[in-house]
Amino acid sequence: MDGLPEFRVLTPRSVAAAVAAGARPGSRFVAGGTDLMANLRHGIGEPGTLIDLRDIPELHGIAAGPLGLSLGAAVRLAELAEHPAVAGPYPALAAAALAVGGPAHREAGTIGGNLCLDTRCLFYNRSAWWREANGYCMKHRGDICHVAPTGKRCHAAFSGDLAAPLLAHGAEVEIAGPHGLRRQPLGDLYAEDGAAHLLLAPGEFLLRVLVPPDPWPAAYAKARARGAIDFPLAGVAVALRLEGTGVTGLRVALTGTNSRPFLLAGTDALLGAPVDAGWRERLGKLVQKQVSPMRTTLLAAQYRRRVAAALAERLAGHLADAATP
Amino acid sequence: MSTIRNVRDVVGVPTPLIDGIEKVKGQAQYTADLPAQGALVGRILRSPHAHARILRIDTAAARALPGVRAVVTGADCATTYGVLPIAMNEYPLARDVVRYRGEPVAAVAAIDAATAARALRLIRLEVEHLPAYFTADAARAPDAVALHDNKPGNIERAVHHRFGNVEEGFARADLVREQVYRCGEVAHAQMELNAALVDYDPARDHLTIWSTTQVPYYVHLMLARCLDMDMSRIRVIKPFVGGGFGARVEVLNFEIIAALLARAAGGKVALRLSREETFLTHRGRPETETRLKLGMTRAGKLTACACEVVQRGGAYAGYGVVTILYAGALLQGLYDIPAIAYDGYRVYANLPPCGAMRGHGSVDVRFAFEALLDRMAAEAGLDPFAVRRANLLAAPTQTQNGLRIESYGLDECLDWVERASGWRDRRGKLGTGRGLGMACSHYVSGAAKPIHWTGEPHAVVQLRLDFDGGITLLTGAADIGQGSSTLMAQAAAEILGVQLDRIRVVAADSMLTPKDNGSYSSRVTFMVGNATIDAARELRARLVAAAAEQLGAPAETIDCRHETFQAAGSDSPGLGFGEVARAALAREGGAITVKGSFTCPIEFQGGKHKGGAVGATMGFSYAAQVVEVAVDIDTGMVAVEKVWVAQDCGFAINPLAVEGQIQGAVWMGMGQAMGEETRYENGLAVHASLLDYRVPTILDSPPIVLHIVESLDPNGPFGAKEASEGALAGFLPALTNAIADAIGLRVDDLPVTPDRLLEALAKRRRERRLAASLAEVA
Repeated sequence: MDGLPEFRVLTPRSVAAAVAAGARPGSRFVAGGTDLMANLRHGIGEPGTLIDLRDIPELHGIAAGPLGLSLGAAVRLAELAEHPAVAGPYPALAAAALAVGGPAHREAGTIGGNLCLDTRCLFYNRSAWWREANGYCMKHRGDICHVAPTGKRCHAAFSGDLAAPLLAHGAEVEIAGPHGLRRQPLGDLYAEDGAAHLLLAPGEFLLRVLVPPDPWPAAYAKARARGAIDFPLAGVAVALRLEGTGVTGLRVALTGTNSRPFLLAGTDALLGAPVDAGWRERLGKLVQKQVSPMRTTLLAAQYRRRVAAALAERLAGHLADAATP
Repeated sequence: MSTIRNVRDVVGVPTPLIDGIEKVKGQAQYTADLPAQGALVGRILRSPHAHARILRIDTAAARALPGVRAVVTGADCATTYGVLPIAMNEYPLARDVVRYRGEPVAAVAAIDAATAARALRLIRLEVEHLPAYFTADAARAPDAVALHDNKPGNIERAVHHRFGNVEEGFARADLVREQVYRCGEVAHAQMELNAALVDYDPARDHLTIWSTTQVPYYVHLMLARCLDMDMSRIRVIKPFVGGGFGARVEVLNFEIIAALLARAAGGKVALRLSREETFLTHRGRPETETRLKLGMTRAGKLTACACEVVQRGGAYAGYGVVTILYAGALLQGLYDIPAIAYDGYRVYANLPPCGAMRGHGSVDVRFAFEALLDRMAAEAGLDPFAVRRANLLAAPTQTQNGLRIESYGLDECLDWVERASGWRDRRGKLGTGRGLGMACSHYVSGAAKPIHWTGEPHAVVQLRLDFDGGITLLTGAADIGQGSSTLMAQAAAEILGVQLDRIRVVAADSMLTPKDNGSYSSRVTFMVGNATIDAARELRARLVAAAAEQLGAPAETIDCRHETFQAAGSDSPGLGFGEVARAALAREGGAITVKGSFTCPIEFQGGKHKGGAVGATMGFSYAAQVVEVAVDIDTGMVAVEKVWVAQDCGFAINPLAVEGQIQGAVWMGMGQAMGEETRYENGLAVHASLLDYRVPTILDSPPIVLHIVESLDPNGPFGAKEASEGALAGFLPALTNAIADAIGLRVDDLPVTPDRLLEALAKRRRERRLAASLAEVA
């Protein structure tokens, strides 16, 4: 890893001050820095100013009420995983928080940082020397995607864990920026383009995540080569409501397989039926059809497709078993 | 050479490392921690090209940059270096041709890191591209351009060894099977990054280097050669070192580059490599393809072995000749095999050079051997333990390739792991997706023939006693975390009958300590341990002579234990150590310095055939292990639930350190078997971080239950042999054998990453479907 470039750090204490600071050209928001610092050391971006959001009170705190959960964007992942308002009613969210990196990453990394994580690729998360030797790539300084050289877009994969359970729970995000506050479904934050996957205007940052109350039973599973540290090769969250033996509600969200995290489409076709072997197979096929892992990791893309389906099937099975007396 | 009394006070006692406190408290100074006031910052410019002729390196702009104190290129060193006198074909900075992406081509020393980085960007490299080869097959193709003019076909060394009548052996076998096994290239991933601090004194033409090395003496030799300096003007110091595993058993380019920079700048240079650069310096275990054929009788007795090994060695020779010879030589020494044919090929390719790594040369071939043995045992309806027991050696003996075996505890290792793992009761009854597998392995206790033949002993240790009563042990042996300094202190304290903390170890500083060949091939315990015993006996004799005078008793009746000298059968309280030390100093005319040494007798130095010295040692360690796995066939994930391992290390001088070494070896084998692998995209390393080079985390690490077997080698120090490498190789086949037991699938390619396992399962389903539909048609 190379040395850090020179930059100044601002620590605004209010949303308004942060928005004002964000208007400066060449500035970037940072919280835990677990993702950003590694990239800066690799010469990816040379922001003149880093705006540390962690001193803003509105970005902190976990509150549970009749309207659901409110999660401050600067809440640390370790805090999120352990909070009683999360660990009990939202086990998938707690599991996803615990699945990030190692203990030190979770002590520093935040909810907002994990949701706004840069996309990752075999050809991108490399030293400056390496990327220059490889002729750079579409995501940074170059014009070709080494993963799909004939394609027109960057295929770097979104690799945050939290997005999957939050999508499955129908979460919304509150965004602060030069034009005030706005609130939108979490899914609308993302686009399927590895070089421009975050739909945030310049100067905008995440303020809060809002999760609806009375969640359906949900679970999160993450495929990775090791028991810790690794980013998801595929991350799957399943929220499943059962009445009697029939499925009356199903939301499946995926991360790690595409340039954005996304909710599986077409799950309505699986409603009304019991979760049996045939049902699980149909779910698996739906997943296989919609994920599009590319050669952005050392493990094979085909594996990520297969394992995403296998995990979705398994989680649905477990949730159905748990719901059946 | 073994013992002088049966009761042992210091050796055989679990002993915390004598330098452990500094490490735990964070006070130990590794090379990058050393005070470097006024030191310039060194940086290396690396080739972006895999294979190219250098037309021009323009350094004018870099030299002109304010704050730059030195720029060096291949033009500054026209001398090759390398660890083997017969294969020195590497320049510290490329001259004429670059042969891998990442090879150093220039270096700068500047007043700070930012200036050094700017200077690197100002250097222009013009090249003419040459065809590059990233696989052994491509490099061996008939029309391939040679990386080195004197090595046609890109073969660094071809080995063809024949022992016994192989044809006759296969002819009388009841079962003959042949299989190809592939192991990915792996790296040491040692915790401490490569670093060197060099202080050059231009007024006196003296150079001092502190470096992250396992072999200070080889560093010394190569610095003298490449800088054309008299050895007396160079001082090599090894500070605390954070792991070696073979990565540092030869001089490395950055050490010579740092020295060239310091001399050019006329001062002090600190050169600290990044994790990526440390990976690029490489010297790991080569990608290996092993074609193995074994013959076996109905009873499981081996009749013949034919083995072909191809190693992709990278761009330079390094230890390559030794690695390809080890791969063949260590087919022997574990089991009784009447006939062996070995063909080995060490191939050049445009990748970072491979080298020595824990279990040097033996690991990938041992994987193939134990995996095929398991496959054949299953086919013959024999228990895997029974097959091993049918082929045991009986010490003392000599193998067909001239390896001497004086102690052999493999049978005891087998008995213990079979019992401890509940093999007989539990195997086949663990439930779906769970299984048990076993395998054996062995390793040398020091290469019996030194690389540089000088006529000197293999190891020399000095002990010094002076007015303060402290005993200073001077050794060139490099403690790299394995605990050699503690072990030597224990050995000396045991022989002298003194407290462990009376011994103060001064190690690996060429100005103070006697020459030592270094920490490689597990030689230190055996060789330096014996030299320590020899020195301690000499000092003991001097002390006993003084005590005898004081006590008025014959010297041969006097013993010293717990720092008290006493004549046998005497009722007197005896003399304390301080009293005797003072008497000895007076008697000898002041400070006493004694020397001990160890030399491997010539009959242990290997067979007469070409390359016969490699593999020869005075004692082999032996290990057996059982691995229990749970395989998830939906995700391809393999969980290692538990490992039982027994190792014959002769005698555990420090059982605490031995346990740590055995656990470490098993764990390192697990890393290679399950996930670690170097990967290149057109020759560019994509594994060169600890995120992509997947060393197991603690969550992936199973309980390792271990047992130490003590076969008391007649030549080992207190009976000891090596303890740190022998158990590594066995893990790989024990794992794949366990997977086969769990899900009936034989994995022949390593590492067993989840994507490969799922692909292999999918392939099996396709084959079964095809077979079923063919059967239907028939």
